Amino acid sequence: MSHPAIGQEDFHKFREFFYRKTGILFEDSKRYFVDKRLIERMEATGSDSFRSYFTMLRFQASSEELQALTNAMTVNETYFFRESYQFDCLVNSLLDEVVATKPPKKPVRIWSLPCSTGEEPYSIVIYLLEHWAKLDRFDVEIFASDIDTQVLQAAAKGVFSPRSVQHLPAALLRKYFTRLANGNYKIDEQVSDSIDFSRVNLLDPLDTRHFRDIDVVFCRNLLIYFDDTSRRAAAEIFYNAMSPGGFICLGHSESMSRISDLFRVRKFKDAIVYQKPL
Amino acid sequence: MPLRKTRAEDLPQAGSQAALSADEAIALLGGPDAAGRQAAARRLAGNAAAAEALCARFAVETDIPTREAIAVALMRTQSAVTVERLLPFLSSEDAALRNTVIEILQALPAEVAPHMERLLDHPDSDVRIFAVNVLEALRHPKVEEWLIAVVSADRHPNVVATALDLLGEVGTEAAIPALSRIAARFADEPFLKFAAGNAMKRIGAGS
Repeated sequence: MSHPAIGQEDFHKFREFFYRKTGILFEDSKRYFVDKRLIERMEATGSDSFRSYFTMLRFQASSEELQALTNAMTVNETYFFRESYQFDCLVNSLLDEVVATKPPKKPVRIWSLPCSTGEEPYSIVIYLLEHWAKLDRFDVEIFASDIDTQVLQAAAKGVFSPRSVQHLPAALLRKYFTRLANGNYKIDEQVSDSIDFSRVNLLDPLDTRHFRDIDVVFCRNLLIYFDDTSRRAAAEIFYNAMSPGGFICLGHSESMSRISDLFRVRKFKDAIVYQKPL
Repeated sequence: MPLRKTRAEDLPQAGSQAALSADEAIALLGGPDAAGRQAAARRLAGNAAAAEALCARFAVETDIPTREAIAVALMRTQSAVTVERLLPFLSSEDAALRNTVIEILQALPAEVAPHMERLLDHPDSDVRIFAVNVLEALRHPKVEEWLIAVVSADRHPNVVATALDLLGEVGTEAAIPALSRIAARFADEPFLKFAAGNAMKRIGAGS
């Protein structure tokens, strides 16, 4: 079976459109990667040319195909210490700014959403315990939420595959995990007991109304899967849930500046994050 | 360990965050507290019966986060009333307000469509440019047809230039005849000839 061809101008046209919609920019060197996935989606949707596929992508009222293509173009898996430069930024810069303006006895609040099977919030706990010297002076509350109750159950259980923990230094693996007979790793209960896991649909105000005065939000690789309106609604909900001066960390291919004007960009040594103005 | 487990549902809620009825939310929209108005807007998102009230507040709202909350609520409500009430703001001198209106309209393709031809025929060329800006992200099958009409008939170079830029992305062979006439229609505007050629190149390259 012959594949529909994608010309150089088609690639450029698609690249500009996809960048505008998602913030993801493909260099020329990614041409093979992009073409392969475009052709897969064209075949899956029965499109006989790039043009007909692009028209559907551009004008389909439901945006379903843009969603499917975005899924194909982004490969996400969760594991401990993923994109750890943001955790470095948390303990080296963000928390110090947060506590500098925090009223006495007010807890520091961190919200991980979507938390999936727990690797992200547990990574945050380990980072705090290992790298934030002021931890013994402040109460820290960590909330972890997801819309999927199955992943929440798995997160609360705290058992992880060797692949999931492969980026953890051996010393931390020994310190915070117990190796099980089947080769998996169970996280220390002191760590798992420090996190509140809850089911949350980010776009449902009834689900999010409890979240107040959040100082740091980790929302990585979620907004990229939302349509424009939902993305903007999510930004507005985070703004409402956060403390003035609070920070939000997005995935490496996501940009709040492309979603909403409510936050300002902050460049730190370890990472670029977004801040609710004080 | 200073890591303290607290259940999210046990966190104290601000008064304005408690569950509101639609009537309470509409009343709260006019209140003095910005957080309350934002909570009201969030509560009313998707409620078509509240579009009128949301638009009325949007028109006078000066607090930026509250204006954003109302804008998001209007985007999520899909009401023809929203389009009717907001279209006049395309003529506003307030650029931030106008841009937010364009973004709201972009999110309401079915509701905007019945107004598009009239907008593209507006006597003010700036409004026509903003109408083309609405088309930029409008998910509607007639976008190309509207753009072809603009490059075929509009006499203002800036309006046509805006449409040409977009046609380069969304145009098909159907746009070629109109694009081919640009050089003759705007003989004194070499940029438009260039932009039309660019759009044709992009369209012609389509497989």
